[in-house]
Amino acid sequence: MPEDKWEPKILAFCCNWCSYAGADAAGLERRQVPPTIRVIRVMCSGRIDPAFVMLGLLEGADAVLVTGCHIGDCHYVNANNQTRNRYEFLKEFVDELGLEPERLWLRWISASEGLLFAEMVREVTEKIREIGPSPLRRDWKK
Amino acid sequence: MPRYYLAWAKDERIREKGANGGFVTATLVSALETGFIDAALVVEKKSVYEGIPVLTSNPEVVKECAGSLHGAPINLTKYVVDYGAKKRIGLPTKPCDARGIIEQAKRRQVNLDNIFMIGLNCGGTLHPLRMREMAADFLGFDPDAVVKEEIKEGKICLVSKEEGMGEKEKWVKIDALEQKGYGRRDACKSCVTKIPTSADLACGNWGSNDTQKTFVEVLTEKGEAILKNAIESGYVEIEEAPGEGIEKRKQIEAGMQRLAEDWKERMDEVSALSRSERLEFYVDALKNCIGCGACKEVCPVCACEAGAKCLDMNDARDSYVVSMYNMLRIFHLMDSCIGCGECEDVCPVDIPLTLIHRRFSERMQRHLGYTPGMDVKERPPLYETELRWSVEE
Repeated sequence: MPEDKWEPKILAFCCNWCSYAGADAAGLERRQVPPTIRVIRVMCSGRIDPAFVMLGLLEGADAVLVTGCHIGDCHYVNANNQTRNRYEFLKEFVDELGLEPERLWLRWISASEGLLFAEMVREVTEKIREIGPSPLRRDWKK
Repeated sequence: MPRYYLAWAKDERIREKGANGGFVTATLVSALETGFIDAALVVEKKSVYEGIPVLTSNPEVVKECAGSLHGAPINLTKYVVDYGAKKRIGLPTKPCDARGIIEQAKRRQVNLDNIFMIGLNCGGTLHPLRMREMAADFLGFDPDAVVKEEIKEGKICLVSKEEGMGEKEKWVKIDALEQKGYGRRDACKSCVTKIPTSADLACGNWGSNDTQKTFVEVLTEKGEAILKNAIESGYVEIEEAPGEGIEKRKQIEAGMQRLAEDWKERMDEVSALSRSERLEFYVDALKNCIGCGACKEVCPVCACEAGAKCLDMNDARDSYVVSMYNMLRIFHLMDSCIGCGECEDVCPVDIPLTLIHRRFSERMQRHLGYTPGMDVKERPPLYETELRWSVEE
């Protein structure tokens, strides 16, 4: 792909009960969402193993988004507390490894927050356009 | 409330062979002979550079193993896991052994009630290969002729015995050695846990005013029981430790910890790098990995078996910049790495794993306010979400 045509690839993990429906709501409300995002639906954000995030980054995602229900609203009582705990670890891991902290995001988005979802994707896309492709991509050249 | 004693073996032969009064050997022998423990896990000395862990119920074997061995940096944790499920085991532990066993107990791999840890104060161990190089380059000895080593008051002594030459003894300051790149392992240079406070007893010569007496700190009820057993069966004698001894021991510990902090900064080549250079360093360091799994096998903290996630999710055909094996290993040890350096010792391609794991785990542990291997009641934070993050927050 030519350099000037580069577009960010953003991997988003969406919880079936909230942020996936939130993404749906964004579409129903006819909100503009950049086409940089690839959504993977999971039954709960607590299902997202840190290894999935690592695999996403290694396979060439420029940023990974982890989204789930607000704390206290989890469909499975408290599983998103684990998401938060793992995010604390991943944040330090990504930072120490030498990646920009903006390559990992955690956002709580409920089923009705279509606007928030669209805004978040825009924000992430802009940020990633600024900092450029991920150095973990195999095709990345300095 | 910790209590301090000076203790020594009554048996003269044990006292002669053991370091500083042979208290550890005498305690293990008495526990074996009275049936207090079923077996003892000790390191049998093959040469100055080689030790083999032995699980034995024969007190004579334990007596043979008396004395220190700095050139065989073995971590006994995984042997305890292998053998210690049902038997009562007594073993001497360095601080990293004790911390590893506590971490395994947190992961329900060992029953701590069955394990009697006789802690040894530890200033550090030497890598056998570095020690051979040191004997040849620094002292001019034939490495194979070295028959005895000793560390005392910041100096190391090697004794070589060659045919027709008799015994030669040379003392060198460890500090002078380490300035030239020899000396202790990197993990030991930067280790700040010099007294095994998570073991049952902590023994050593720091604070002892007599080379034939061991300074003993009693840390737990189990430690008190095994000490009482040793005294009652007539193997060990004790006296109250003098106040200045306790002070001196604290000073030595603090001094070594300061030195370790110094070394940590001096050996950390990564902290001066920028973010992108840091990634380059890690990628460069880890690209030689052949994924053999030896570091996982020997790791005293890891409790995973054959289906471990780091091995399971790794595929040698992936051409990732950093392999999944290393990503997951580093991630899983961020809260639990005790910095023992066993992984670097066994690595066939000499990846600087001690430094890498320390870089990652130290910042995470500081962030969490958690020190692994100290208190068995503290669960590993990666798995313990409920206690740490409550809904009310």
